[in-house]
Amino acid sequence: MATNTTQEQQSAAGRHQEVGHKSLLQSDALYQYILETSVYPREPEPMKELRELTAKHPWNLMTTSADEGQFLNMLLKLINAKNTMEIGVYTGYSLLATALALPDDGKILAMDINRENYELGLPVIRKAGVAHKIEFKEGPAMPVLDKLVEDEKNHGSYDFIFVDADKDNYLNYHKRLIELVKVGGLIGYDNTLWNGSVVAPPDAPLRKYVRYYRDFVLELNKALAVDPRIEICMLPVGDGITLCRRVK
Amino acid sequence: MATNTQEQQSQAARHQEVGHKSLLQTDDLYQYILETSVYPREPQPMKELRELTAKHPWNLMTTSADEGQFLNMLLKLINAKNTMEIGVYTGYSLLATALALPHDGKILAMDINRKNYELGLPVIQKAGVAHKIEFKEGPAMPVLDELLQDEKNHGSYDFIFVDADKDNYLNYHKRLIELVKVGGLIGYDNTLWNGSVVAPADAPLRKYVRYYRDFVMELNKALAVDPRIEICMLPVGDGITLCRRLK
Repeated sequence: MATNTTQEQQSAAGRHQEVGHKSLLQSDALYQYILETSVYPREPEPMKELRELTAKHPWNLMTTSADEGQFLNMLLKLINAKNTMEIGVYTGYSLLATALALPDDGKILAMDINRENYELGLPVIRKAGVAHKIEFKEGPAMPVLDKLVEDEKNHGSYDFIFVDADKDNYLNYHKRLIELVKVGGLIGYDNTLWNGSVVAPPDAPLRKYVRYYRDFVLELNKALAVDPRIEICMLPVGDGITLCRRVK
Repeated sequence: MATNTQEQQSQAARHQEVGHKSLLQTDDLYQYILETSVYPREPQPMKELRELTAKHPWNLMTTSADEGQFLNMLLKLINAKNTMEIGVYTGYSLLATALALPHDGKILAMDINRKNYELGLPVIQKAGVAHKIEFKEGPAMPVLDELLQDEKNHGSYDFIFVDADKDNYLNYHKRLIELVKVGGLIGYDNTLWNGSVVAPADAPLRKYVRYYRDFVMELNKALAVDPRIEICMLPVGDGITLCRRLK
């Protein structure tokens, strides 16, 4: 999430944990059941390693969950994705899930304002033999997207784009991504159920950053729902992913 | 579910008491998803079929609207053309499927009860997609066994959706794994069984919920170790386990 200082980010992670970042499901027990029955036994060794490495990191609440990683991996294989983009990398769990799903000549353009976190996970990605598929750009994504959009050649050139970054910019990203993803291709917006806070009453005790970004998340959800260029599906996986299939 | 009429009717009522809303944190959150993203996008025929089905005494058997939307998108994403459905009821997921397939797409749909299918059929016909459906009344097993006898049918399905008698899922799986193509998808519905898969041993569960729960848990364990598939348990509806055939 795009907050300014390290200190702010660190306390934000702590606060998110207090809010109880387990899942959107009925009970932690049910979520644990899914993880233990279907996710962990199938989790590729590199992903397990990266997940455990990330668990030691102070901002680990930002990471993609294991059930979400498994879903993304399957989804990418199902749609035969070859050219993808990821905005928001952190230590690279969803990036690795993606890289493992793509064919050997698959390509991922991955962007994050923080290269250090990416480099934490990169050795694991290299060991898995898939780092060659990744082009990492450090810095905000918007200028990169604007440059890509300038060249007609890039329009409709992506099979899949995953956005897991600053929620106050999702709609701005969307204006560009809708041109860059191919017709029939998929954009995935992460955290669209925002820990369930999308339905919290106005007087509910929410952490400042949760409340701040919630308005953007609610606005995003409304906007995607009426966007005629896409078909949508809100999945309660992880913190909520909205899949947007471009139809024109 | 495969029981006689009176049993089925009281089971539906009992399932409702157990609170058949969703697997999510709160009903509010589920309602939010439905109202923000599902209902505004629901095709008119599906809305009509859903409302028609809501008046039916066994309506708790129906596929939920969020699940219908997901199936519809999934089928388009995988460019499905030849599919199968075991367990139809009034046809909500069948309609979601038929709307997703191309004009020359085909669905083999099976259910022990033709009357319920015929309740929804006029809506499917009005939607202009009934020609894609071949409906067979009766238990699915003999049909699957017959299909398997012909090599030509092996690996011929892009997608197979199973939403039927839970005590037979593993028996279906033995056949479906041959009939679905490599890279194709089998979807098993209700694999989180209203969350009861984690209910403590002494929890007050309805007889049929407890009875089928054992089969659901056995299925989940078996799918998790089946080397011919990759799996993903999605908490959509009552839980769908997607199985992508590898070999």
